[in-house]
Amino acid sequence: MPFNSQTLEEPTFRGEPDWLRDRRRNAFAAYERLPMPSRTDEEWRRTDVTGLDPSTYAKLEHANGYKQEMPGLPAGVIFEPLSVAAVKHRQLVEPLLFSTGHPDRDRFSALHAAFFTGGNFLYVPDGVVIEEPILRQHFSHEGGTTVLPHTVIVAGRGSRFYYLDEYIGEEEEGAGYRSGSAEIFVGEGADVGYVSIQKWGRHAWHLADQRARLEKDSRLRLFNVTLGGRFSKSRVEASLVGPGASAELKGIYFASGKQFFDFHTLQDHQVGNTTSDLLFKGALQDTAKTVYAGLIRIEKGAARSDAYQANRNLVLSDHAKATSIPMLEIDNNDVRCTHGATVGPVDPQSLFYLQSRGIPATTAKRMIVQGFFGEVLERIPFEQARRLVETELEARLG
Amino acid sequence: MADFEIRDLRASVEGKEILKGVTLAINKGEVHAVMGPNGSGKSTLSHTLMGHPGYTVDGGEVVFKGKNVLALQPDERARLGMFLAFQYPVVVPGISMTNFLRTALNAKRGYDGKDKSKQISPKEFRSMLKGELEVLHMDDSFLPRYINDGFSGGEKKRAEILQMAMLKPEIAILDETDSGLDIDSIKFVAEAVNRMRGPELGVLIITHYTRILEFIKPDYVHVLVDGRFVLSGGPEVADRLEKTGYSEWGDVEDKPEEVA
Repeated sequence: MPFNSQTLEEPTFRGEPDWLRDRRRNAFAAYERLPMPSRTDEEWRRTDVTGLDPSTYAKLEHANGYKQEMPGLPAGVIFEPLSVAAVKHRQLVEPLLFSTGHPDRDRFSALHAAFFTGGNFLYVPDGVVIEEPILRQHFSHEGGTTVLPHTVIVAGRGSRFYYLDEYIGEEEEGAGYRSGSAEIFVGEGADVGYVSIQKWGRHAWHLADQRARLEKDSRLRLFNVTLGGRFSKSRVEASLVGPGASAELKGIYFASGKQFFDFHTLQDHQVGNTTSDLLFKGALQDTAKTVYAGLIRIEKGAARSDAYQANRNLVLSDHAKATSIPMLEIDNNDVRCTHGATVGPVDPQSLFYLQSRGIPATTAKRMIVQGFFGEVLERIPFEQARRLVETELEARLG
Repeated sequence: MADFEIRDLRASVEGKEILKGVTLAINKGEVHAVMGPNGSGKSTLSHTLMGHPGYTVDGGEVVFKGKNVLALQPDERARLGMFLAFQYPVVVPGISMTNFLRTALNAKRGYDGKDKSKQISPKEFRSMLKGELEVLHMDDSFLPRYINDGFSGGEKKRAEILQMAMLKPEIAILDETDSGLDIDSIKFVAEAVNRMRGPELGVLIITHYTRILEFIKPDYVHVLVDGRFVLSGGPEVADRLEKTGYSEWGDVEDKPEEVA
């Protein structure tokens, strides 16, 4: 199945409603029209995609969508493959799908919007609380393929729940193209915990957008864990559109070997009395490279906004390189904004201290890295995800 | 031959010569105090003995259990039986005191994550801790906290001595353990050290002031000035310093009785 307009006429997509098929065709037209991002674009200046030609991997996995059973959901909750929800719940899906970010933002977003398959739609009605986290796993089964799941989460007024997207590939499987995007709509007074764990194979190309829209008095705690892929680019964006909204955006990454990770984050305060709190922490070893660029944008009317942004990098090898670019764009004076970035090696004083107690240097370094992550791991919004991430990190830190 | 011998130790920091030939023999069962004014090389001595990478050894040797420890990594020195109580204990975020203590104890027992029989049992660990906490008048609320994170000056120093009590070294170096401590903390720390005194432990107390020596009585006192010992003797040397300060060794202003 190559990436062309005929593929959109294949059975996989033929069963979808016309509105969605039209959108896919438009997105595909954008994909064909748009150039590959080049290093003259500010966003891609440090992010090299010259080696990426998605058509090399033009075999779609998950073409039929995969339904994950989730027993015991309260009445009224909708949890369906996105393609099914597009038919059965058009009035809910159509106005929201890709409303947080236009598919023609760049060539990869357009490709994702044209061919996404296998994602889920979750709708939690007003006032409904789900105690058990909703867990969704996305697999890649072989190299040479494309996997493009898209998650849409709608939290009704005053609802409260947790959601985990886990992206899983075989460590050594061949190169492939992967996305794993989510749109999260947090209704008035709702409280959502969302965690994504990206552990595709070591040769994968991963490009993902996680975007959220927060209404009045709502709270989102989003946690991005990036571990896999040869190349991983994630955009994490929260728009605060109602007063009293609060977004906590946290992330951890551990890059080794030749991995390259790029993070672009946006804390968009569209109205006043809103809060955002961002912390991304990463450790790098071998010849890994990471780029973090974060923007706090406070719009003109957004007085009394409170925004915090920090990126901390622990560089464990002389050949690894972390770049951190914090940015502010503030159109209102009555706000509080703090941001900061650090890039540095393991503190030699800490290392000496642990060694002076008999702890060998390799163990001591591992403890320091775990400690570095430990502070932010505590902010993972629910226990299952926290354990999963701890176990995964422990295995990777060796 | 003494249990722990420092022979003609010379060391520098960033190219500047600080220790200009220090020789000292410590036997287990003895308490030695090294006293000296600011800049005499006291902290260089403690850091060099423990192997801090910021200090360069220019000559001499330190022999302990038949080994020249200057050739060993700091963790190897510790596992051999050396301990340094830091003047400025380091804050290490994200690692709990419990995890730290347990890992250190396991390292000492040769547990490397594989042979579980060498691992300390949770029960044994708890009972060891409980006893030592009582002596130091500490409660267990600090155990889940990150290493030295948010600890008061007194808590940090007590936590150092707690680590010493848990690790049971044979040669312990106490680097300015009394600095920044209130009198109660000094007493608790001294009580804990005095309990550990005995034929299995040699102690080297490094201090500017005589105050801690009122609570931990030294067997020998050595005066360090400009990187060399200028006087060695019994406890009476401390009494003499108490009265006259370091002024007799030249251009040294500060007196030991000035308490920080």
